[in-house]
Amino acid sequence: MPQAPLAPKDAGLFRQVLKCYETKQYKKGLKAAEQILKRNPHHGETLAMKGLITNSLGRTTEAFAIAKEALKQDMKSHVCWHVYGLLYRSTKNFEESIKAYKMALRFEPESQQILRDLALLQIQMRDYVGYIESRRQILQGRPQLRQNWTGLAIAQHLAGSYAEAENVMVKFEETLKVPVGKGDVEHSEAGLYKNMIIAESGDIERALTDLEKISKTTLDKISVLEKRAEYLLKLERKEEAVTAYKVLLQRNAEKRVYYQGLEKAMGCEEDTAARKALYAEYAEKNQRSDAPRRIPLDFLSGDEFREAADAYLTKLLKKGVPSTFANVKALYADAEKRATILELVQGYAASLENEEPQVVETPTNGDANGNEPAKTTKPSEFKLWTLYFLGQHYDHYRTRNTERSLEYINKALELKPEQVELHMTLARIYKHAGNLQKAMEKMNEARNFDKKDRYINTKCAKYQLRNDHNEEALETMSLFTRNDAHGGPLGDLLEMQCVWFITEDGESYLRQGKFGLALKRFHAILKIFEDWTDDQFDFHSFSLRKGQIRSYIEMLRWEDSLRSHPFFSRAALGAIKAYIMLSDRPHLAHSSLSNGNNENVDFEGLSTADRKKALKKAKREAQKAQERAVEAAAKAKEEKAKNAQVANLDEEKKKDDTDPLGTELAQTKEPLEAALKFLNPLLEFSPGKLEVQTSGFEIHSRRKKWLLAVKCLRAAQKLDPESPVVHEQIIRFRTMVSKLSDEDIKAPSKEVLISTLEEILPAATDLTAYNVEFSAKHSQSAPHIRGALRARSFLSAGAPTTPLLNALDQEGISLYDVLQGQSLLQELKAPEEKIKEYNQKAAAKFPDAVVFKEKAGAE
Amino acid sequence: MDIRVLQPSDIPHVQLANITNLPENYFLKYYLYHALSWPQLSYVAVDLSYADNHPGEPPKIVGYVLAKMEEEPTDGVQHGHITSLSVMRTHRRLGLAEKLMRQSQKAMVEAFGAKYVSLHVRVSNKAALHLYRDTLQFEVDKVEEKYYADGENAYSMRKDLTFLEEPESEDEDEDEAVGEDVDIDGDVPKEKKTKKKRNVKVGRGLGVADLQEVDGRA
Repeated sequence: MPQAPLAPKDAGLFRQVLKCYETKQYKKGLKAAEQILKRNPHHGETLAMKGLITNSLGRTTEAFAIAKEALKQDMKSHVCWHVYGLLYRSTKNFEESIKAYKMALRFEPESQQILRDLALLQIQMRDYVGYIESRRQILQGRPQLRQNWTGLAIAQHLAGSYAEAENVMVKFEETLKVPVGKGDVEHSEAGLYKNMIIAESGDIERALTDLEKISKTTLDKISVLEKRAEYLLKLERKEEAVTAYKVLLQRNAEKRVYYQGLEKAMGCEEDTAARKALYAEYAEKNQRSDAPRRIPLDFLSGDEFREAADAYLTKLLKKGVPSTFANVKALYADAEKRATILELVQGYAASLENEEPQVVETPTNGDANGNEPAKTTKPSEFKLWTLYFLGQHYDHYRTRNTERSLEYINKALELKPEQVELHMTLARIYKHAGNLQKAMEKMNEARNFDKKDRYINTKCAKYQLRNDHNEEALETMSLFTRNDAHGGPLGDLLEMQCVWFITEDGESYLRQGKFGLALKRFHAILKIFEDWTDDQFDFHSFSLRKGQIRSYIEMLRWEDSLRSHPFFSRAALGAIKAYIMLSDRPHLAHSSLSNGNNENVDFEGLSTADRKKALKKAKREAQKAQERAVEAAAKAKEEKAKNAQVANLDEEKKKDDTDPLGTELAQTKEPLEAALKFLNPLLEFSPGKLEVQTSGFEIHSRRKKWLLAVKCLRAAQKLDPESPVVHEQIIRFRTMVSKLSDEDIKAPSKEVLISTLEEILPAATDLTAYNVEFSAKHSQSAPHIRGALRARSFLSAGAPTTPLLNALDQEGISLYDVLQGQSLLQELKAPEEKIKEYNQKAAAKFPDAVVFKEKAGAE
Repeated sequence: MDIRVLQPSDIPHVQLANITNLPENYFLKYYLYHALSWPQLSYVAVDLSYADNHPGEPPKIVGYVLAKMEEEPTDGVQHGHITSLSVMRTHRRLGLAEKLMRQSQKAMVEAFGAKYVSLHVRVSNKAALHLYRDTLQFEVDKVEEKYYADGENAYSMRKDLTFLEEPESEDEDEDEAVGEDVDIDGDVPKEKKTKKKRNVKVGRGLGVADLQEVDGRA
């Protein structure tokens, strides 16, 4: 039933509604719409526009109701369907949105606007088939626009149809009657994009010919030079490739792939003498370049290495480069090299032992203590940074000796007490030695030397978080945040996507057993990644206009695997850990009952009645805390509003957080299901990380999804057959499965489960013997000792704790392993005296680690 | 330390380096906006020892320069602008800032015909001022009052880049006068308008209103 057109006056009003919407005058637009509706209450398109505006005002539910009513009134209006699609898009329900757009197109097949909106969603959803179709129609509608041709080419390229994509690009070029001006960025980029398509199709020969053709008129010279070198090398045209890489190195002598390309082209990758000569030549040519001096340290050995390392280290140390150690520490994997380096640097230190300090004028660069040039005595840079290097050497995990490390840094501090780097390293040494309190204090001292430097401020906050001083950390951060942001300093950090702080904060809360806050932070990271996914949306149209297609394609590919980023996996693994603990011991959701640092109640030791009571009390407390937090936030906001001179509309729209402490998150009835939000992307994008698979096993086995669990277990085993975690999981799973009844798992699934388990560990294997064998095989590895012990605790009660105690005698056992051993003792409910003994022994080994001293009773 | 052009996949670590070192911070989308508008201009310094120990992971960035072209130069002269530049404190004195800038400036001239490059620096930031003025040969153009959100003034600095222009070879110098912005469709002004609009909208809001935005040619 097509609707009668509006009377001229109302039609005019309707145009006004459209205009108001486009110019974001929502209230005015709404008024005009109401006026029309007063006379024409059933006018579908007016209703639709009313719905659209209502949604823009933030009333989404109401908007959907209106838009549905609009459709009821006018099913055949493309406007009504288009609006319906837009509403769905605003709620990110892209599937429904696409459906609505397609309906709109049925009634208005030529509409460029609807086609474009549809295309945007299709590419966002990576629906390449649909995208090709839409781009084709857009092109047919407006073939005079270059971007419409490029758009179709992109669609075909992404779908893997290289020939078609190239063809579209060529067809457009053929329509050009006059040659394009040389400065045309879009044209220049289109040429390189076409070249990229040809190369990706695998036809390097043709890609090279094409590149030669466009190279003169292309503005992006570096891309041309890089691609040319790359193609020549692939085509084994080595002599030309040599020249090509030399040209590139002339432009940038700090890029490893150029050197690698040159080596390959020269065919000297295996010829140490030739390589040495090559890098010597570049070092000579580029006095200020690091790469040609540093790279030979990787492949030289023996005396040649000593000579090269000597030259490299003296050059940097004399210049006073703070990162000298960082520049060479990758070489420490080689025991001989690290011994040589130590010998060399100790030699410098010995020769500088009796050096007289120089009197100099030091211009102070913007440090907090005034800017006047001052006459001071100053040690040579060489001596200072040599001592600094040695201090770092003895703090490196392969060569750690806390005492010596401190000695060198303190010596350096005598020379230059205000050198921030030295104080920072002092803090780092204490952190590695297990004294987090002192580490934090030292880092704060370092910060005080240069309060205007955000780097040291950041480090200070990080160390405060490692020591679980969350409020202080935030206060430190607030020295550099926009504190009038919504939600204060934390709000600003969230808004600025400060991933490191949010993650560290969450991990700290997790350590403290504050599950609500921990989950709150991890969910914030999840949200940031969602925003990063959404961020690409605007570029689907933007990049076509800008014409920088290659980087757009790169962006799409990066977004495709965005959640493989370690920033994501770290937060996700933290969240999963929290959810597993909440699933195993639901009372932990109430922070006052958890065994964090603020241990109040030994909940698990209580009787059932007392447990109920305690739980009730905890719930009350949590409720109150939550109310207090919300109230405080509201108050702060009010205070700010009072002070604010201009009301910020954006601020108003931001909703107040109703769960600032994450209480609701922690008290979820289904922690394991909630964990899937984090686990599924991990399994999809980081399946090669062992911890991802073992976490997957923990979640799925608790969900009683046996096949998913065994899949993870198998994958984990393939990644690392000797992993102690996998070992323990295998044994646990076997004992678990042996108790399953036919009710728990039905026939076909059961067979798959059994056969996969058979692949993992044959059913005939005696688990106890297997475990004994495993622990014998890895008797020198602390993580394996723990794995075997855990496994044993599933096989029989009362696992012995002696292996953990003995492990403490191992040379070079890390602080991390000793801490892990400590928590395993607690987990296994070892007798008090054993725990005490362990802590005493650990305290002797790690005298700075406060955590052992306290628990050993030797305050 | 490698010096190479910034790729979209570097951005989270560039963002990390920025918020670690500097008080002026941006959403990821703002970095994307740079990387997708002028992909040739932004450079990163990469920590290779980290990359060696973490195969398959994105590299750690110890320094970066985030650069752009001024979209509507008030003086009508094509020029680049440094949005942000920083090097981790632990990696100073390696000359990274200079190396990053050098690459970026060359690309500004080659890819976009920039005549000069400009930047802002806090008047209190002596170290940065020293770097720009003494090491990188920038000159103070003027002081911009209350340029920063906290009310501090900025030095507006610039550096002439014409010395980087390559002499044209004989057979192709006729096109040079055409300039940088000629577009075959002749609808550059419209495109520019939209660009400008986009420029402001680097926030992450994706409300219906945004989505409704016409691309300037409908």
